[in-house]
Amino acid sequence: MRIVVAYKWTCDPEEATVRADGTVDWSRAKPGLSTYDPVAIELARQLAQAAGAELIGVTAGGKGVAVPIASKAALSRGLDRVVIVEDESLAEAGRSELAAVLAEVIRHIGDVDLIVTGDSSVDVAAKMVPTVLAGELGWPAVAEVTAVSGQAGALRVERAIPGGVQVLEVSGPAVLAASADAAVPRVPGMKELLAAAKKPVELLELASLKVPPGSAVMTVTGRSRPERKARKGQLIDTTDPAAAAAELVAALREAGTL
Amino acid sequence: MSVNAWIVVGDQPAIGNLITVARSLGGPVGAVVAGPRSVAETVAASGVDKVVWCGTPDDVPAEASAQAVAETVAADPPRVVLAGRNPGERVLLGAAAARLKAAVLTGARTVSIDGDDVIVVNAVFGDIADETVAVSGPVALLLDGGPVPPPGGTTAPIEEVTATPLGLKVIETRTSGFDEVDLNTAHRVIGVGRGLKAKEDLAVIEALAEAISAEIACSRPVAEGLNWMGKDRYIGSSGAHIAPQLYLAIGISGQLQHMVGVQGAETIVAINSDPNAAVFAQTDYGLVGDLYQLVPAITAALK
Repeated sequence: MRIVVAYKWTCDPEEATVRADGTVDWSRAKPGLSTYDPVAIELARQLAQAAGAELIGVTAGGKGVAVPIASKAALSRGLDRVVIVEDESLAEAGRSELAAVLAEVIRHIGDVDLIVTGDSSVDVAAKMVPTVLAGELGWPAVAEVTAVSGQAGALRVERAIPGGVQVLEVSGPAVLAASADAAVPRVPGMKELLAAAKKPVELLELASLKVPPGSAVMTVTGRSRPERKARKGQLIDTTDPAAAAAELVAALREAGTL
Repeated sequence: MSVNAWIVVGDQPAIGNLITVARSLGGPVGAVVAGPRSVAETVAASGVDKVVWCGTPDDVPAEASAQAVAETVAADPPRVVLAGRNPGERVLLGAAAARLKAAVLTGARTVSIDGDDVIVVNAVFGDIADETVAVSGPVALLLDGGPVPPPGGTTAPIEEVTATPLGLKVIETRTSGFDEVDLNTAHRVIGVGRGLKAKEDLAVIEALAEAISAEIACSRPVAEGLNWMGKDRYIGSSGAHIAPQLYLAIGISGQLQHMVGVQGAETIVAINSDPNAAVFAQTDYGLVGDLYQLVPAITAALK
C-alpha cells in the first residue's frame, strides 16, 4: 500500500504587504510548511503505520520548494521519502496547473492507493487542488475528512457535514482533504530531524512529466488593493469597566447600531 | 441548445447567487445535479434553461457522481462552470475543471464577458489583494452559493443520465448536537476567540448575545480543535464571510485569516486584554481589558 501526502512549502499572507499598486510584497515573509499540512501528514502517518504502507510526500512549486530545509520539514514529520517538482514556471501556477502536475507525479510514482492533503493552503486557501487532482486521476475525493481507518480499497472515512459527521466507505483509490482538526501534529524532535536528512529526496524535471496543457490562458490585466472600510480606531478607556461599557453602548446607540 | 454556463449542484439547491452570476453573462444556463431528485426539481423550477440529474442513489454521496458531472459538462462545454463553496460541490467542480482543463478561480468579486475572454476580478492570498484576470478558455468559479432560489416562471425539463458512481457509500450519519446557523442573515454577530478560557464561560457571551439579539460565532480554533461550536460558526478566509451591522470580536487577536471574514461589517468592536493585539488596528471601538469584566459590564449597560 502506498499513501501520498501532497504538501505545500509557502508563505503566510499575514507576513506579506500589499503595495499601493496592488502587487504583493513577500520579501519579509518566511516560507514554511503550509499551516494545515502537518495535520495531513500526521493523519496519513497514522494510517500508513497501521496498514504497513509506504508514506510518500509530494510537492510542486516554484523556486525554493526543493531546498533542504523544506524537504526536511516534511520528512521529519514521518514521511518515508519525498518527490519534488521545482520549476520557476510553477511559482505563479493556478490550481488546475498544479493539480495536473501533481497527477503526473502520482502516475510517475505508480501504485498509489491514497492521497491525503491538508484542508487548505495558507497562501491561496482555494481548497481546490485536491478536488481537481482527483478529477485528473478519475478518483473520488472527499473533503473535510476528520478520521480515516481501514486498508486501501476499503477505507472508512469520517467527514464533517453541516450539523454532524458522515461515515463513508471508500473503495478504490481516493483523494482525502483532511479537516484542520483531523489529527494533532507532532513536533519533530532532534532524532526525527537527523533521520530526515538521510531520507530519499527525488527531484523531477517538469519537462520530463509531459503534463498536458490546459485549455485556458489566464492573463493578469490589473491589480489593486481592495477598498477597506475606514475604521474609527477609537480606544475606550477601560479603567472603570462600567463606565467603558456605558460609553460603548452610548456610541453604538448614537450610530444606530444598537 | 448549447450552454454558456453550467451550474454544478450537490446536496443542497442553495444556488441563488450562482444563477444570478450565470444569467448576467448572457446565454443559456444549465444545471447538473448530483444530489437527490428533490434538489433537481427545485433547481428545475428556479429559472435555469436545462437540468441534468445524475440519478444519484440514496446511500451514495453527491461526490460519487463527480465523473458523471464532469462528462455532462464536457459534452456541452461552457464558457463558465460555477459551484457553491461547500465541500461536496468543490469536489464536483474540481472534476469538471479537470475534464475541461479549465482555469480555477475562487475569489471572484465580479465576472463578465468581453469578446472571447471571461474577465474576473479575483481576490487573492486571503483577500489581501485583487487581481483582474482575462481568461481565454473555460473558467471554473467557486462562489458563495446564495439562498435557495424561489420558483421562477417556467420549469425546465429534467434529463436523467445514468453513470456508474465512484466508490463512495454512506454508512452512517451522526448529528453533532450543534445547532446549524446561517451567519449571513444575522444583523449582529459576536465572535469569540481563544481569549475565552473555558467552554462554560460561553454563558457570559450568551448573555450579551441575548441582550443585543446577536448570533455567536468564533475564530477557527474555537470550532476546530476546541470544538466548542459547530464549524459553520467560524469566521475567516476559509470559513464564513459576514457583513453584519455590528461585529464584536471578543478575545480575538485579529489575525488576517480571521479579519478578512468580517471586512464587510458596518461597525467592529474589539475586546482584548493585549493592547498590542492586531485586532485594534482594524476596529471602530477598541476596549483593552479583561473580557470577564467588560462583557458583563456591557450586558448590564444595555439594561
